[in-house]
Amino acid sequence: MATTADHFQGHVDDHGHADHDHKPAFFARWFMSTNHKDIGTMYLIFAIFAGIIGGAFSGMMRIELAEPGIQYLDTFAKWFGAVNPDFNSSLHVWNVLITAHGLIMVFFMVMPAIIGGFGNWFVPLMIGAPDMAFPRMNNISFWLTVAGFCSLLCSAFVPGGTGLGAGTGWTVYAPLSTTGSPGPAVDFGIFALHLSGAGSIMGAINFITTIFNMRAPGMTMHKMPLFVWSVLVTAFLLLLSLPVLAAAITMLLTDRNFGTTFFDPSGGGDPVLYQHLFWFFGHPEVYIMILPGFGIVSQIISTFSKKPVFGYLGMAYAMVAIGVVGFIVWAHHMYATGMSVNTKMYFTAATMVIAVPTGVKIFSWIATMWGGSIEFKSPMVWAIGFIFLFTVGGVTGVYLANGGIDDVVHDTYFVVAHFHYVLSLGAVTALFAGFYYWFPKMSGRMHSELLAHIHFWIFFVGVNMIFFPMHFLGLQGMPRRYPDYAEAYAHWNKVATDGYMVMAFSLVIWFINIIYAYTAGKKAEANYWGEGATTLEWTLSSPPPFHQFETLPVIEDAGHH
Amino acid sequence: QEAAPAAAPAAAAGSYTPMKPTPGIGMPVDGGLGIQTQFSKIGEYGLWMHDVILMPVMVIISVFVLALLLWVIVRYNKRANPVASKTSHNTLIEVVWTLLPVLILVGIAIPSIDLIAKQYKPAPKGALTIKATGNQWFWTYSYPDNGDFEVVSNMLNLPGQPVVNNGVRDVGSKPWDGPSHLEVDNRMVVPVGEPIRLLVTAADVIHSFAVPSLWMKLDGVPGRINEKVLLVEKPGVYYGQCSELCGAKHGYMPIALEALPRDKFNAWVLTHPGGAIDGQKPAAQAAAAPAAEAAPVGEATGEGQGDATAAAAE
Amino acid sequence: MAGTKNHDYHILPPDIVPLATTIGAFVFTSGMVLHMHDMAGGAFVPWLGMAILLASMFAWFSKIVKEAHAGDHTPVVQLHQRYGMITFIASEVMFFVGWFWAFFDFSLFPSTLSEAVGGQWPPKAIEAVMDPFALPLLNTLILLCSGTTVTWAHHSLIHGDREGLKKGLWATILLGLLFSCIQAYEYIHAPFGFGQNTYGSAFYMATGFHGFHVIVGTIMLIVCLKRTYNGDFTPRQHFGFEAAAWYWHFVDVVWLFLFAAIYIWGNWGGVIE
Ligand code: HEA
Ligand code: HEA
Ligand code: CUA
Ligand SMILES: [Cu+2]
Repeated sequence: MATTADHFQGHVDDHGHADHDHKPAFFARWFMSTNHKDIGTMYLIFAIFAGIIGGAFSGMMRIELAEPGIQYLDTFAKWFGAVNPDFNSSLHVWNVLITAHGLIMVFFMVMPAIIGGFGNWFVPLMIGAPDMAFPRMNNISFWLTVAGFCSLLCSAFVPGGTGLGAGTGWTVYAPLSTTGSPGPAVDFGIFALHLSGAGSIMGAINFITTIFNMRAPGMTMHKMPLFVWSVLVTAFLLLLSLPVLAAAITMLLTDRNFGTTFFDPSGGGDPVLYQHLFWFFGHPEVYIMILPGFGIVSQIISTFSKKPVFGYLGMAYAMVAIGVVGFIVWAHHMYATGMSVNTKMYFTAATMVIAVPTGVKIFSWIATMWGGSIEFKSPMVWAIGFIFLFTVGGVTGVYLANGGIDDVVHDTYFVVAHFHYVLSLGAVTALFAGFYYWFPKMSGRMHSELLAHIHFWIFFVGVNMIFFPMHFLGLQGMPRRYPDYAEAYAHWNKVATDGYMVMAFSLVIWFINIIYAYTAGKKAEANYWGEGATTLEWTLSSPPPFHQFETLPVIEDAGHH
Repeated sequence: QEAAPAAAPAAAAGSYTPMKPTPGIGMPVDGGLGIQTQFSKIGEYGLWMHDVILMPVMVIISVFVLALLLWVIVRYNKRANPVASKTSHNTLIEVVWTLLPVLILVGIAIPSIDLIAKQYKPAPKGALTIKATGNQWFWTYSYPDNGDFEVVSNMLNLPGQPVVNNGVRDVGSKPWDGPSHLEVDNRMVVPVGEPIRLLVTAADVIHSFAVPSLWMKLDGVPGRINEKVLLVEKPGVYYGQCSELCGAKHGYMPIALEALPRDKFNAWVLTHPGGAIDGQKPAAQAAAAPAAEAAPVGEATGEGQGDATAAAAE
Repeated sequence: MAGTKNHDYHILPPDIVPLATTIGAFVFTSGMVLHMHDMAGGAFVPWLGMAILLASMFAWFSKIVKEAHAGDHTPVVQLHQRYGMITFIASEVMFFVGWFWAFFDFSLFPSTLSEAVGGQWPPKAIEAVMDPFALPLLNTLILLCSGTTVTWAHHSLIHGDREGLKKGLWATILLGLLFSCIQAYEYIHAPFGFGQNTYGSAFYMATGFHGFHVIVGTIMLIVCLKRTYNGDFTPRQHFGFEAAAWYWHFVDVVWLFLFAAIYIWGNWGGVIE
């Protein structure tokens, strides 16, 4: 591939510009930022903060689920400010926890980290651009995400039906979210999605424009690093799916407050319509969360195998295919709603199609490693872990795609196992891979490789302990969104909760590693990973100058293929 | 709504003692790994699909990917292979790993689509109709072909747990004699061995009627009536739970379905005020004429139950 | 900013306006929650939020105009703006897809269980519908006409005819305002209500969001007119005008779909008042 550093090293003369590198003062720099790297950093810090909250919520969930019966929910209810909670409002806390956990992890952890954080940092660097196309709009995208998060937090402290907070599940199905949840909590939740959704749409516009228009001279679309491709496809998915969610939740809002009957059967409305609209967004959304992860893994696998990506074009267009097909499979989340037989058959077949381009990606990663000279630096270990864990989550997805089977496992822990394998073990593993890959580039300090490896292994054991047994629970019939369960589900739930403790310990190691890097870490060189790292960010200092590429790099045609 | 005035005395012919569930049958088992044993035709087919097609495919693909990863790790690490090759294309292998999954998926899709078709075959004409309605947070079952009486079904209280209902079964032992979280005060009773037209709906928010050992899951959506065939092959008690988030006590509205031979089912029907067999009103009911008007059973009641059994036999 | 910028991209200094806009949006949404639940502050917090939001947006767009005068909008930056506007309109199209989806769901599969609908479209509860070939047709013609006047303005601009530009813009704005007035008249005199059944819900929300877009588009055109009087826009650089024109055409096309689907097809068989 032509995007190797030696092709343009000669043209880049940014290294010596530290003297021009004056940064704005604190307030201007962080509250008024128009710099893609600073905005990326804020996104990452925000995502880590949100991840800790979302992770803490899941810890509260796991500890309640450790044994059958209700043990802690009334305590939690008091934490959220309920005075003398009765049984119903304690149970309501469970629904608030899962709702907040799902929404936080999806909208305020993975998306800000992987698109807002890594996308902002590295898309301009990788295409040789000085910044994003719309630097000021970039800033509001970030702040709207924060505003959305604040709105979601507000919802936890106001009435939402049987207790405080929105207890609708992250899918916010009507009529539970309309007539079933009086009180302001759900309205705050809906506005949380409006605000962060508006931010994401603007982010998508920004990425599309940047990638189409700001590639360095000579960098054709087919020479772009795969991470850039992944963000491009993701941006299109955001652009075209989020507005449909916006319409759907606006209908919720008017049904709740202004007397419309979109989802109210007495006026002829249809609760299932909400599900169609939600999943028309929701399914592309799951690829929004994973595609940038695919991109990160592609960079890492190539770097540490010291080989160009195998089947580059196939890899790029596989992502395009996943994006396109992702728009026509949504109703596989709705097999139990009473769809017609033909519709079920169509969605079964269409959904399975996605396994093909995804398989292309899995096999191309392995082929990239094949014949390579692999160095097992920490990002590589996380990336290899990703490939395996994502495959496990992917094949259970294909299992669920079968309408006739999904009918029995739908809304059980099997689904919970599936999506945590692709998210908590897939997307999050890709996040950590990207974190270790680029942390020294962003901070200028090396982390400890040893701690990063230990972090990986403990995390790997922990999350598998949490989520693998959930397959068994689901097949045995344990329904989701239950704070309490039959004795027969006790064994594997205990294992899962123990796994959480293991996983939590690994995160402590991660924090120690960050502290280590900032206090004792070596200064990072421009290209600390060596010969395999060939994309443009490695031609810049670590951290890169405040404004990079003031003279655009030129990518020469290496006449490859 | 109650079809008959409460004044009507219990039918003389009726009798019913709740069946004792068999441990491990029709319910989850502790430490269980797979799908519950199935007690319906469609369930057996689904289980076959799971055991013979999907599980092997999932395991083989995961293990295959893991094996490839381990192989490249061992064979192509820096020490074993100091100089990286520069290969980045091989059209043949790319075509193979595109087409092979396509073939596997076609192999899955054919039985899968057949399973769906079978699962949603409509109930034969004249099949017994039972309607399940989800409410926050209990189920009601009405029997339009049997005089349209209604059974209200609440979870039985758990010893040492917060009271979620009065914890009393109206017939039979008390306070609590089934599996925890799954037993109810009034079960949904159905005749065994004949296809039943199950209608599912909901009164307030969405609920879902699910019984894992009968391969059954169907949402009750307000404003919609969903329909599916239910055919239980063996007498017994089969447990399930509400499977769509419906508010605070979503976890506390289980389903207990008791399948009885026809005669015992009929006897059970007659224990209910307003309960009728084959469209005839029970003797005790004859006086309570308004009940007949209140029950909008129409054609469904007119069709003899004999048809249903005949259809089941075909 | 570093002094050695050797490219045509627009690197911006730090700016407080995005944060201010966000605060406006957040105050507005939170205020709406207070308002909808009759809580303290519900009467004025939404207005406060709206005021902050509008003031910030005004500041933001003013900056863009100033930057255009400062020559920051090099050809490549203008290309950015084109891409930005096209993708923005694409997202708007998807927003309307959501409302049309609801409308077609209700009209193609009218609920049989709801007494208000009774398995028919227009629903039972709708005693009379609007005559699509009365005011709605007039409105269609008005919008179509405004599409041509905005093109007239554009051509005048390209050919350096500023008087023509002004006339074209004036005509478009007046037609837009006329449309909004007729729409408001129609709403007031509509023979059916806003809530209670799917007909009113789908009709008012879809046409209402369209109407809102018409108003936004009209404001954009008014800004363009003001800028024309200020002497802005040259035959070669006038993206602000083009963006407004594109947006106007988009609003126009959405109306055609609304007119065909909701007014003509959806009212078929209904009693015309
Ligand atoms: C990152 C997120 C992510 C990703 C990538 C996926 C990927 C997939 N998902 Fe998943 N899914 C979710 C997140 C995700 N999902 C979430 C959050 C839910 C639940 C939402 C809720 O209800 O709250 C869900 C639920 C869900 C359901 C609904 C279950 C239910 O509620 O009843 C279904 C059903 O079809 C499904 C299918 C799939 C499929 C087929 C894929 C495919 O894309 C997977 C493709 C990958 C592979 C197949 C592995 C690699 C391929 C090979 C090695 C080639 C060879 C393979 C074969 C020939 C099979 N998913
Ligand atoms: C990305 C999405 C994501 C992630 C990461 C997780 C992570 C976890 N989830 Fe969850 N989960 C969901 C999305 C996610 N989840 C969704 C959508 C639902 C459905 C909700 C609903 O039903 O409505 C759900 C539901 C759900 C349930 C089912 C509840 C129920 O049905 O009753 C359970 C039960 O155990 C659970 C547990 C956990 C646990 C123990 C983790 C642990 O793995 C958590 C540990 C924390 C981390 C691993 C994150 C650490 C990351 C950071 C701190 C940031 C890192 C940032 C950088 C590197 C830049 N989750
Ligand atoms: Cu009823 Cu869940
Ligand atoms: Cu999906």
